[in-house]
Amino acid sequence: MSQKTQDSDVKESQPGAGDTQAGNSSTQASALPSDEPKGLPLDGIRVVDVGNFIAGPYAASILSEFGAEVYKVEYPIAGDPMRGLGTASRRADSTLFWLSEARNRKSVTINLRQPTGAKLFRKLVAKCDVVVESFRPGTMESWGVGWDTLSKDNPGLVMLRVTGYGQTGPFRDKRGFSHLAHAFGGLSYLCGFPGQTPTIPGPNPLADYMVSLYGAIGIMLALRYRDQTGRGQYIDIGTYEAVFRQLDELPTAYGLHGKIREREGAGTIVACPHGHFRTKDDKWVAIACTNNKMFARLAEDAMNRPELAAEGTFGLKNKRLAAHEEVDRIVGEWTASLTRDELMEKCLAAQVPIGPLNSIADIFADPHYQARDDLVTIDDPDVGEITVPGVFPKLSETPGRIEHLGPPLGNMTDKVLGELLGLTVAELAEFHKNRVI
Amino acid sequence: MAIHQKQKETAEARGDSKAPIKPRLPLSGIRVIDVATFIAAPYAAGILGEFGAEVLKVEHPFGGDPCRNFGTATKSGDTLAWLSEARNKKSVTVDLRTPDGAEIFKKLVSKSDILCENFRPGTLEKWGLGWEVLHELNPGLIMLRISGYGQTGPYRDRPGFARIAHAVGGLAYLAGMPRETPVTPGSTTLGDYLTGLYGAMGILMALRYKERTGRGQYIDAALYESIFRLSDEMAPAYAAYGTVRERTGPHNPIACPLGHFRTKDDKWVAFACTTDKLFEALAQAMERPELASDSLYGRHQKRLESRHDVNDVVSAWCGSLTRDEVEAKCYATGAPYAPLDNIADMFANRQFHARRNLVAVDDPALGETLIVPCSLPRLSETPGEINGLGPALGEHTDEVLEDLLGMSPSQIKRLHESRVI
Repeated sequence: MSQKTQDSDVKESQPGAGDTQAGNSSTQASALPSDEPKGLPLDGIRVVDVGNFIAGPYAASILSEFGAEVYKVEYPIAGDPMRGLGTASRRADSTLFWLSEARNRKSVTINLRQPTGAKLFRKLVAKCDVVVESFRPGTMESWGVGWDTLSKDNPGLVMLRVTGYGQTGPFRDKRGFSHLAHAFGGLSYLCGFPGQTPTIPGPNPLADYMVSLYGAIGIMLALRYRDQTGRGQYIDIGTYEAVFRQLDELPTAYGLHGKIREREGAGTIVACPHGHFRTKDDKWVAIACTNNKMFARLAEDAMNRPELAAEGTFGLKNKRLAAHEEVDRIVGEWTASLTRDELMEKCLAAQVPIGPLNSIADIFADPHYQARDDLVTIDDPDVGEITVPGVFPKLSETPGRIEHLGPPLGNMTDKVLGELLGLTVAELAEFHKNRVI
Repeated sequence: MAIHQKQKETAEARGDSKAPIKPRLPLSGIRVIDVATFIAAPYAAGILGEFGAEVLKVEHPFGGDPCRNFGTATKSGDTLAWLSEARNKKSVTVDLRTPDGAEIFKKLVSKSDILCENFRPGTLEKWGLGWEVLHELNPGLIMLRISGYGQTGPYRDRPGFARIAHAVGGLAYLAGMPRETPVTPGSTTLGDYLTGLYGAMGILMALRYKERTGRGQYIDAALYESIFRLSDEMAPAYAAYGTVRERTGPHNPIACPLGHFRTKDDKWVAFACTTDKLFEALAQAMERPELASDSLYGRHQKRLESRHDVNDVVSAWCGSLTRDEVEAKCYATGAPYAPLDNIADMFANRQFHARRNLVAVDDPALGETLIVPCSLPRLSETPGEINGLGPALGEHTDEVLEDLLGMSPSQIKRLHESRVI
């Protein structure tokens, strides 16, 4: 499980002393066969991430994992508010959440609210390929660094603009958070027991990650188009849209039949048994019998109750759906008579789809997670050993990398502005004094 | 209510007209074979199709992709999920289990850039169509392999569905009331879509690398990993402090109020007061500015300590008004509000209209117009396109075998007779 990265140490703890061009040491080097990998897909691509929190910035993280150099442009005094979100670490300006998700970045402080800062930002963007931002629509324009200005400076620029509701439409100026996007995009309504309080669909910033995945795809598409035509473009996505896009036939079925899907508790109305069941040792398992064959294997081979799979009882899907409470009760009584480990063994032997409802503790103990290097431990001289999710998906030839964790605020300001924009020591000192950087 | 997008001529969509060399879309000229089933890997191919790639859906000649039977059926026999998610694809039937079928498949792959599959690991190998074989035929090939648990590790052979992935990846454990039965996290297919997104991204990375180096590669994506990756700081917090996150019902304990509340007309609304300023905006909407004073609940820490009181006050206010009244007051002060919309609400929502999130597409075979979700993300210069809904089984078999592989009508006829295609 533990993979350590060595080369990030010097660079991160001694700003200005290392080399801006990061090496390709991979912390994710899985043992997939390959003769001579030739770098990473995004080698040579420079990204400016001026977004806050996860929605948007996670797209930049993905690009960095696959070779891009990412400059995190932050407000000089406090930086990305994400630095204060979640559990504290040994470094005052970085929570664990920040350390994990701001991976691979170089922090450059620029105050966009000052004209001098905005000018500096434009110079930086002119030397880069991609900008990622997540301000409310019009904010960057009000600072003189909107799309029109930036794309005039750099006609090949690709700009990802992530907001709660998108750049257009009557709701564009409203506040967006993932919690609100889950609601507005239709997911929260569906989460919980019928007629009862809707619960949050896992207390994670799910939607923020989802929208960033779309953003990363958009950037890759736009980069390809730019390479072929020289023309840049911007990508406009609202967080709620990413949620709404993933709800299978929901819109189509409403459009055609006026069917409104309601909360379905621990199951689903399209298959049975297909839900969550408690075990004897007070844990939970998911069982998913999507067809008659699977149910027959569950009844006959795992439960040793072949009569349940007879045509007269629950052998046919429509019979099971009609009597789903009864079927779930019978299956639930059976699962409650066995420990989770016993159930897993019986169901897997019978080729019945089953999985434990893992807590994070279960995940850390799971041999499959370990075998796939899903958890990566980075040893950072500043904050010690931190375990974070690895790089996904796994590419056989260019598996991606975590070079280092989220940086201290402004750790690369002087270096990047000095080397890339040619600012002198005196100019940098002046900008620091005036809080431009 | 939704914009109307007419079916376009495929030739035009491919940019086959003679004059401009400039590609119309980012993936014009890229050919994708989608031999996968249901949603996971097919959704990756679907995204590529929206942005200009030609997608050949290779299906079993009898029955085809089981996604055709997933969900609500239509007159044509195919379900709505199929018609929506197999958008832009061409259906080519080939029985990979026959030696002739395997040969045809190899020829198709050698003329393509990308292959998407989500069989259980080892299945394609069993048919003589594994990565080693296909990569040798086509060294630049990019192959997306999605499975429940990935191509490696002790669980690789276990059956995997999105529901199982939600459980194994740690999401299902978190959805529901504390200590009560965990619920479905809103949808049973999230893990499929998410893994499709990771897959599409991996393909685009690999495509860029291939165009620089000539070298193909495969992408190994597991459903449970896509779910696990979205677990914010759960992993570092457990490693550092042993923190195990539990279900928290309708509220998120990191801020207050941050949860779901019922209105007088029995609808639900969400608030997300993650800062003091946002709580102040809510207090103003409630016409109770004193709630945001320092002595009451003006400070984040104070609200967390008095979360039950705060939630009670907000609940009582919501319960005294209809959802529309709550909405008007919240939007007036900039309070962080959203309705918990069902699909009927979303169809009526002005933002969905303005953003053209719902697209009406005519289906000539079905004789109906279906409303499907639009292409995402929205690119300013090269927006994605929906040129047609999911094809009939084998609709393009003859055309593709003739045009792409140069087979004669009599060869094709024989293959039909022997049920290879």
